[in-house]
Amino acid sequence: MSVQRGLGPASVTERRREFEAALGRTAEARSQEAGVALERASLWRDALYRFAANRAALVASLAFLVALGYAYITPWVDSADPYFVDFSEQYRPLSWAHPFGTDQFGRDLFVRNALGARVSIEIGFAATLAIMGVGILYGAISGFLGGWVDNVMMRFLDALYGLPYLPFAILTIVVLGGQATFWTMVVALTVASWFTTARVMRGQMITLKENDYVRAAQALGARWYRIVFWHLLPNTLGLIIVFVFLELPGVILGEAFLSFIGLGINPPKASLGSLAQDGYAAFQTHPYMIAIPSLAIGWLILSAFFIADGLRDALDPRTRG
Amino acid sequence: MALLEVEDLHTYFKTRAGEVHAVDGVSFSLERGKTLGIVGESGCGKSVTALSIMGLVPPPGRVVSGRALFEGQDLLQRKSRELEDIRGREIAMIFQDPMTSLNPTLTIGMQITETLRRHLKLTRDEARKRAVELLEEVRIPNAAQRLRDYPHRYSGGMRQRVMIAIALSCNPKLLIADEPTTALDVTVQAGVLALLRELREEHDMAMIMITHDMGVVAETSDEVIVMYAGQVVEQAGTFELFDSPEHPYTEALLAALPQIEGEDVRHSRLASIPGRPPDLISPPPACRFADRCVYASLEDSCTRVLPELRELRPGHFVRTAHPASERAAAPVGS
Amino acid sequence: MLKFVVRRALWTIPVILLVIFLTFVMMREIKGNPFRVTERAVPASIQRNLERKFHLDQPWYVQYGYYVKGVFTFDLGPSLTQRNQTVNDVIKEHFPVSLRLGLLAMIWAILIGIPLGVISALKQNTIVDYLSMTFVNAGYTLPNFFIATMLIYFFSVKWRGWTGLPTNGWDNGLDGWRTWILPAVALGHAPMTYFARIVRGSILETLQQDYIRTAKAKGLRWRRIVGLHVLRNSLIPAVTAAAPLLGFLIAGSFIVETIFSIPGIGRYFVNSVTGRDYSVTMGITVLLSIIIIVANLLVDIAYGFLDPRTRDPRT
Repeated sequence: MSVQRGLGPASVTERRREFEAALGRTAEARSQEAGVALERASLWRDALYRFAANRAALVASLAFLVALGYAYITPWVDSADPYFVDFSEQYRPLSWAHPFGTDQFGRDLFVRNALGARVSIEIGFAATLAIMGVGILYGAISGFLGGWVDNVMMRFLDALYGLPYLPFAILTIVVLGGQATFWTMVVALTVASWFTTARVMRGQMITLKENDYVRAAQALGARWYRIVFWHLLPNTLGLIIVFVFLELPGVILGEAFLSFIGLGINPPKASLGSLAQDGYAAFQTHPYMIAIPSLAIGWLILSAFFIADGLRDALDPRTRG
Repeated sequence: MALLEVEDLHTYFKTRAGEVHAVDGVSFSLERGKTLGIVGESGCGKSVTALSIMGLVPPPGRVVSGRALFEGQDLLQRKSRELEDIRGREIAMIFQDPMTSLNPTLTIGMQITETLRRHLKLTRDEARKRAVELLEEVRIPNAAQRLRDYPHRYSGGMRQRVMIAIALSCNPKLLIADEPTTALDVTVQAGVLALLRELREEHDMAMIMITHDMGVVAETSDEVIVMYAGQVVEQAGTFELFDSPEHPYTEALLAALPQIEGEDVRHSRLASIPGRPPDLISPPPACRFADRCVYASLEDSCTRVLPELRELRPGHFVRTAHPASERAAAPVGS
Repeated sequence: MLKFVVRRALWTIPVILLVIFLTFVMMREIKGNPFRVTERAVPASIQRNLERKFHLDQPWYVQYGYYVKGVFTFDLGPSLTQRNQTVNDVIKEHFPVSLRLGLLAMIWAILIGIPLGVISALKQNTIVDYLSMTFVNAGYTLPNFFIATMLIYFFSVKWRGWTGLPTNGWDNGLDGWRTWILPAVALGHAPMTYFARIVRGSILETLQQDYIRTAKAKGLRWRRIVGLHVLRNSLIPAVTAAAPLLGFLIAGSFIVETIFSIPGIGRYFVNSVTGRDYSVTMGITVLLSIIIIVANLLVDIAYGFLDPRTRDPRT
């Protein structure tokens, strides 16, 4: 069964004329169309808005700030001396005077944990920034230059993926002198974990490289490093920020592991990991000594993870309306 | 008794911004062997209507009220287990994008036979044989070998044919086709529509053809419903609708068709309808087309009160305060 | 398909060589390393063995060559601190223990992790989902050593009366199975949470796909849709996710073996580092690297089998 399409030419044309003549009258309709353009806010404000709307991310950010506050403010205001050895106060359980108890030397753990948190956080950020630096450099160069350079660099990276993370970090520490200081830790953790960042940055570079403004810059004679650093990198800033919070947990955990094994910061300075190691010796009778630094580590990691999640959702162009 | 009778269907989606009234009071009836076309622009609720009938509305959507009587029984009141028996067997549905509608990790043969074995309780061999017949019916060459292939070895048009084959495999009484040709090339489109027509006649199957393309409607349907912003705004037999559309929106849709013949061909531009459909979260209690309507003005009642769907002529229903036949007297835009 | 497998397998060789090279270079840089001819930190008899074994009087690339040959002929040199023990001996003695521990941990992770992920996904946003996800999140954010010690604290100390589980030690014999439980759970906990999350995410994504809607429209029973359509497509990414787990297991094993006093190569590795037995360190590093590389290869091949799209060349 088929239906005649359309009708006599005359009536249809008539209608069309009528309609087109009346187009001018739908002013309201037209202004509605114009309104669509006004809705596009700037990228960053938009992202901030979305981030704030994400409850989990907000709670996580708050939690992270609380942790930072604890780590940095407590030793400042609390009068207990973390290095004061007093055997009479040994192994005190949680109390008002010692909210986190004391350790085997009678040292107040509330402040010690705060200081330990400081060290862990600082190592964490330092290593993460270093990872970003190395990873971005490697990935950007590889992605931008492309061709056989990219190929070789990526094959090399693939090979590096075959290295076990922890043993390699340990080896690095040993190579650097066997004693872990702040900076050897940072280097060791960086060396063992920069691969993923490099790979992702390279992917980004390759995608962005195809953009027209890059061609324009090249046409104007800009050198490649200028293009990379001035044009391409700022556009991946969002991704970089997300990655900082994604890598942070891994680094903090890595530091904790290394310290626990005994390759950590030397006493009397402490990190959360080395505090856990101290606590381990007495865990059967005084579980709080290991529980508290571990929970602190978990707190930092969990909040960093949800912040990263929230940032990723906020900045992801695909999920934007 | 009509095969399918939908009465005052309301389907809403609960979102963070509010409750979206995707389908707001849709009714129609469909007789055995007939084809109903549902036309409208994207987002007007035509797909959601079909999904509501099938019980496939994805969360956060749900059918809020209404009835969908299939052979006298209300589908919306049935439990999922009962619906599972009806779907694929009595009512089948095919979807818009054939590239993603088939499971990429199962063979085509498997995806056809599983339906047959589920509903018709065929043995494996019987099902295989029937599957080959089905593929031949939809004109897939080398049917027997093709059964063992995976979807990625089929082109878009072929995949849609497979979808049709699967849908028809248990001889359903009703086929709901949701934009089946939208994702296909124009030439392939013609082939698929022709196939549907043939199969419909052969199996005496009723069909609901959902599309935004007036041409497809003209070619396939006996009766047409025009939907806008979740409501039915016009309903008539196809011929009648194309010959004397009443609703301003229908007129605009028809006017937007590219003209191939007629005296104004060289001079006319493609007309589009400026503006956008209203926000369906708290829809205004007025005619939803009012702000895009060429004939509405602020003093009219239709900007305050929703017009009823009234029967202007036998079998021709309109929901507007300015139907074409009542307009002819007054000059436009006065 | 075969071409794919062969090509992929061949690629592992240069990778292994590179890894050995890197390890070798790093080892040479360590102060007090007897590979450097000038340092004399080791008893004379062993030093002589070393010189013979590693050709320390030759230029470094020759040394490297000999070492590589050693690796491929399964000869990793003598231990530096244990007399009359070669690295091979050490590995032979301790590796099976770690292997068993790792396998048990993996089994635990799969047995608990996958069903947990499936249930969470199917009952998304219900109390079941929230509870299991909280459990899972707690699992991977709390460090391994904490989980291990807490397990010991509760199951071996406080509730010892009921469970009868020992606090540490490892009996490799079959009736020593009691000693395997806690370490396997402790080691497998992090991978378990990983699986749970990946499976859950994968299933949630699959449920959104059009072909699931098609399956529903065909009137298939929900049980079948989940069991066949959903699981088959969701578990594939989960399988490939298993590869990085090996890294988890290795890192975790260091801690778990130390805490439970398990004589595995993880603990031995740590001891060799602090005890300066560097040929053992090097040997174990190389061994672990090879294991990881081979595991990655196997996963890639498995993925090729599971996803028919990678098997066919583009038509």
